Parts: sequence; structure tokens; C-alpha cells
Amino acid sequence: MPFLLDRRDVLRGAAALLADAVLPRRTRAAAEATETRAIVVTFGGGVRWGDTFAPEGWPNIPHLVNDLVPMGLFFPETRYDGLTGHFNATGALVTGCLQNVDAYGSEAPTTPTVFECFRKERRLPPEAAWVVASNKSFGLLGGSKLRDWGDPCAANVILPKHFLLQAIRSAVATSDGPGVEDREALAKRMVSSLDEGYEGFGWKVHETGREIGKEVRATLAKSLLDYFNDPLVPTSGDELTYFMTMEIMSRLAPPLLLVNFWDIDVAHFGAYSLYLEAIRRTDRLVHGLWQHAQSVPAYRDRTTLIVVPEMGRDGDPSGNGFQNHRSGDESCRRVWLLAVGAGVPRGLVSPRPIRTLDVAPTVARILGFKMPEGEGRALSELAF
Amino acid sequence: MSAAPAADAASLLRQHHEALGRMPVTLRAFIGLEAEKWPTFFAPEKAYLTALLESLASPTAAPLLAGVTRLETEAGCRDVKESDPHRLQDATQSLLRRQGLLPRWRHEIDQVFQALQPGIDQALYPADAPRRVVVVLYGQGIAIQRDKLWARLRGIGRRVPLRLESATGSEPFLRALFASGSPGRLSPSFGLDPADAWIVEAGDTLHALCDEGTARATGLSHARLRSYREALARSLYKKVLEGVSGPQELAAYVRELDLAPPEGALLHSDPVVRAFVRDVLLGGNGALLVNNTFVEWSSVQALKRAQPRLLVARFGVRDKMKPFSSLLLFSSPRPTDQVPIVEDPFGSFVDVEQLSYYVWLNAEKSAAYRGKTLYLFLAEGVDEMLALRPHPTEAADDLPAATLSEVSSTIAGWLGAAPGPVAAAPIAALAG
Repeated sequence: MPFLLDRRDVLRGAAALLADAVLPRRTRAAAEATETRAIVVTFGGGVRWGDTFAPEGWPNIPHLVNDLVPMGLFFPETRYDGLTGHFNATGALVTGCLQNVDAYGSEAPTTPTVFECFRKERRLPPEAAWVVASNKSFGLLGGSKLRDWGDPCAANVILPKHFLLQAIRSAVATSDGPGVEDREALAKRMVSSLDEGYEGFGWKVHETGREIGKEVRATLAKSLLDYFNDPLVPTSGDELTYFMTMEIMSRLAPPLLLVNFWDIDVAHFGAYSLYLEAIRRTDRLVHGLWQHAQSVPAYRDRTTLIVVPEMGRDGDPSGNGFQNHRSGDESCRRVWLLAVGAGVPRGLVSPRPIRTLDVAPTVARILGFKMPEGEGRALSELAF
Repeated sequence: MSAAPAADAASLLRQHHEALGRMPVTLRAFIGLEAEKWPTFFAPEKAYLTALLESLASPTAAPLLAGVTRLETEAGCRDVKESDPHRLQDATQSLLRRQGLLPRWRHEIDQVFQALQPGIDQALYPADAPRRVVVVLYGQGIAIQRDKLWARLRGIGRRVPLRLESATGSEPFLRALFASGSPGRLSPSFGLDPADAWIVEAGDTLHALCDEGTARATGLSHARLRSYREALARSLYKKVLEGVSGPQELAAYVRELDLAPPEGALLHSDPVVRAFVRDVLLGGNGALLVNNTFVEWSSVQALKRAQPRLLVARFGVRDKMKPFSSLLLFSSPRPTDQVPIVEDPFGSFVDVEQLSYYVWLNAEKSAAYRGKTLYLFLAEGVDEMLALRPHPTEAADDLPAATLSEVSSTIAGWLGAAPGPVAAAPIAALAG
């Protein structure tokens, strides 16, 4: 594995450069007083019912089927009726209202997000609500563009791969001391190793008006670079997202967290095996996150996990099947939702049709804050 | 309704000038945009646009269009004064979107086409239209799992055992399959014109065999197009790095790109085929980078647009993706890349099972192929094939093993091509 070894060596060097920095002590969100916690995971990138919870899809999601569904409440009839792009579909999840903004994430949602409502009502600091997103165009997902909302009360949004690249650049940017040329060469190689057109055209990073706190950034950057020294070095964007989420949970324990996985969208390459592989990886990472939540005292027994695809993908008879999510057919619309943890009945399947729009009001009910009246309704099956 | 295409787009539009004036403005924009593409249209596309305009212009279409017109009035589309079809489409779509009327408009448009399509199909593809053959080949090296082979189609196809004799490798297999009844004389095109015989492949073995003989086919090889693909990727990546405001700007840039496949990359190179190749590669969906995606997407587009009587789609082994490769559809190969290229024979099998199913599915969507086509699925070195034919006869018993020469004769017979002097007999259960 020459590439991995090479990258690991290079990143080890960068970690050493960062080690000189004064690392902050562990930061804790000022939201510790909040008892309950909610984690929403998008089984994201667009996934079809047939490739997941239809019987022929079960081999792709062994952890969901065997470990998580038996301990949770499953809604097989979940629907998304909006524009079938990632940003709008995820925007609908976090606002409870269908969104119709730029598909590539250059515009924030037009109605308040759960993060803003939560922080505003409870007067919580930025570290109380986080979005960790593999899709690097999700920079504006943490807050709406409404006056009196947005940046001051939005979630911290972190795009792990972009964040890692920034950390690398920052680590080698100082012009002090010897070896400047070496450091520049190092940075170039590292960026080349990681920045291979990630998501390609169309998916730009859109910066929000607010930045993650300096100390938090430094802590997370160090963790991320250290992670590359791990033998289980990540090979996909979602694995980075997974790692970053665990770090945020362990260090900051935010009561509200949205995790966006996105590897599944590799389906656009047209390789069905890679799409299935990404589904299996997402299944493993979701299960890992749940296990991690049970290992962290701040989350154990007080966390509700909601797992839901933001949308489906085209059915075989429409367009070009799994490769796209543009036909708007039933296969793009029909998804599923799984809730596990605090307040969730165990091992139940609800035949009641629900919508992904119901996620935001449900999260509001779990955490005990108000959302403006929207299109979604809180899931009454959960005990609040 | 006439099935003959108009001489050119301008005369077609002139002929229907009045009807176009009465037509819903969104449809007028669509027709205008299609007419602009006329120079890059294959003959079936020209015939379709001609038939569509005749249908839309007929008095019976007026009530069908009323719903679209009503929505356009509600959205204000009919107040747009714009003659350029691009700007007209942008303006009207934007109005429909802003008013939230896009889904209803789509529904109305679907209704119009559903109503008109049977008449158009009948005119363009009568029952006695020529028969067609689609051959899907899995190239050597793909890790075939016999128990899962052609799993999606097994239920509707007929398994035919094959006697490969010595033709187990790619080249002898293909030579035997396309020998055309004359020893040593290869004819993968079965005597058809290039417009009617298409070969799309991941590698270039079949292309090389065509080079040897007298076959005149339209051929697209992902391997042979490598330098062209790289040039396209470089141009796009450069543009992306320079900064583009959005997909529309990139699409406009793509339209203006003046790059053509190099001499010899295509078996039959004319301006329409060159434009087709460019559209396929730049249409997203990974065709620029992934060989089997290229084969599937080219085949699907060829079936839809060029409608050849014979299509041979030959898949191959895909390379493994590099770590952190997500959607780098237009990224440039990195000069410092240290990742060795590793093939993925197991993943390739999973891929081609799905993609070959899509080739069949898309062919069956088209009236040109539905009910007239013999589909043959073969895997190089594998001693069975799967055949799907319209109106299959009762499958009472297992078929006897056939030779590749007999398969070849079956293709020739189905297409009505002249058999060679020492041609084998066609497989009786598939002929006729």
C-alpha cells in the first residue's frame, strides 16, 4: 500500500509540526445541563429502499438489520417529496420544511433550522449544536438566511476533509524557523494526497460568517492529524466524518448533532459495487457511532439516534437507475427512518407513513424546544 | 404521419411555423432547442423530431396542450417575449419554478407525450420494421460467478449451453463469434452499414479485430479514446480551477469546447459520431473515468439516439478507485500520483451485472427495439449464454450445446444478413 504508507508518513510529519502548538485543554459545551441528546445521521448520498431494507438489500446493512432495528423503532414508509438534490433534501430534514435553494449549497435554508431554534431558545453556546458533513458544500446547512437567525445562533459546521486540508496548510504556513522549503514541499504533497478533486465540480466549500472557536479548531485539527497515524487510516470521506464526530462527542458532548455521511453518492460513477460497498461502510459507521455514544457517559442512556437517508435514488426503470437521483420517481422518494435510544420503543415497526420533514420537529420535541410551525410533525410514537 | 425526416431543421420549422406560434411556449422552446441540435442528430432523431412536430401541429393535439397552456398563463410564461430558445427556456422554467408550478407542468407535459407517443411509434416503427440484435459481452478477466451470472434476466431468458472448443480466450472467442461463416473473414458488423452496426467496448480487442478485416462499424473504445478523455478532463479541470459560477456556465463552456477524438480512435468517424462521443463523455455519470460506465452509457445513448440494428456492448475489468475518490468526475490525473492502478475483477462483475441489465432495460423502453430484438448475453470463456427473444417458443427441454459459429449464424439470420459460404446452422430455438 505505497500510497497509504506515503500519506501516513507525510501526515505524521504534519502532526509533528502541529505538536509544537499549545493545545487547549478539553473543552466542554456549556450545554451539559441538557439531559437529553439527539444525534441525527443521514444515511446519505441517496440510497434506494431496494438496496437497503428490501429483503435483497439486507446483506448490505447487517448492522442496521441485526443490531439497531431490534432495539429501536423503524418506519419503513418514510417519504421525501422535495427537490432530489442533497442540499435541499438535507435542508428539509433540519428545518421541517421543503427547501428550494441552490442545489450546490451556495444559499442557506429559507426557514429556521433545528440548530438555530435550539440555541436561540435555550441561549446555548455554539458548541451545543454541530453539523459534521462529508459533503463539502454543506457549509451553510447550520443556519437559515432569515433575518435575526443565521450565524449568531447557527450550528458549528465542520467539513472534516476540508478542515484537515486547512489544518495541514496552517501547520506549515509559518515562515519562522528553519526548513521553510521542506515544509512547503511537505504541504504540497499532503494537499496533493488529499485534495484529489474531492467531489469534483459543483461541490464548493461555502464559508459561513462564523468560525469554529480557535481552541476547538486546534484540538480537533490535532486529533485529525493524529488519526492518520492510526493503522486504520481512513480511506473515505465518511470515515473522516465518523472520526471527527466521535472526537466532537468525546470532547464537547454537544446535545444536538447532525452527521452527514455521503460516500454512497459514489454511485454517480456508475459502479454498482462501489455504491454497495459505500452502503456497507455507512452501515458499519452508523453502528460504530451508536456504540461510541454508549461508551461516552454524556450520551449513554440519554441519547436518541435517528438514522434516515435524505432521499432515495432513481429506480431501475427510470433514467439510469442507481446512478442518479434526478427522475423524481417513487424510488427517489421512498426512504426509511430508524430511531434508537432514549424514549424510543424497542423492536417496533410502525406502518404509519411519515415524512423526512418530521425529523426536525421530532428533534425539537426530544430536546424540548419549539420549532416554528412547519410542514413536518413530531413522531408521536416516541416518548418525549 | 410521415416517417421520413425533413431535409433540414430550418425547413421543418418553416413548415410548421403557424403551429409553432399556437403551441405552448415551453414546448416551442423545446422544439427550438432540439432543432438547433439537428446537425448532430442521427437519422432516427431527425425522423422523431419531424414526427413529433407533425403530431403537435395536428388539430387533434390542441386539446392535449390546453393544460400546459393554462399553467403557462398562470406562471406568466406567455408574456415572455424572447425568440432565442435557450433564453426562452431559461425564462419560462424560472417562472414555473418560482411559482412552484414545475411539478404540475412536468405532469402536464408527461400527459401530452404519453398521448402522442403511440402514434409517433406506430409511424416510425411499424410492425414490419427491421429486426435488431443486441449482444452483451463480459470480457475476459471479469471474475464471473456462475451462480449469479445474468441473475436479473435469467427468469425471462433462455440458457443456451455453448461448446467453446478452443475458443476460451478473448481473441479466439471473439473470432469465433464474429467469423461470419467465412473462415478467417471477420465481420462483426454482419455486412451492415456503420450507422446500423455499433461496437462499444471497454478495451479494444474487438476494435483490433475489426481493423484486420473489412468490417464497417461505428466503434467506440474506452481504451482507444484515452488521450481524448485525458484532454477533455484537463480542459474541464482547468476551467474548474479558474472558477465557474455553476453548472450552467460549465455546460456552456463544454458546448464551446473544440476537441475531437484523434485520428484512428474511432472505427468510423463522422461529425455526428464525434459529437456523440463527446456528449457521452461529458454527460457525467462517470463515463469519462470508468470504462464499464462508458460502455453502458454509450450503449444506452446509442440505442436511444442512433438506434443501430446491431449493438455489441463489451464490458471489461474496471480499475479500483483510489482512496478518497469521491466524485472527481472532471478531475485531472495527478502527475505525482503514487497509487498504482489495480484492477477490480470482483467489483467489475457486480457492476456489469447491473449495467448489462440497464442496457436491456433501456432497449426495451424503445419502440425501435421492443418486440423486434434478439438479446444475447455472453461471457468470454464461459460455456453458456443467455438469450432473450420476442415471443419465445415453449422451452420444453434443455437446448443442445451450440458452437460460437452457430451463435454467429443466429445473429446473421435474425438480422437477415447473407450467410457465408460455410456458415453454421442458426440455433433453431432462437431463429425464426
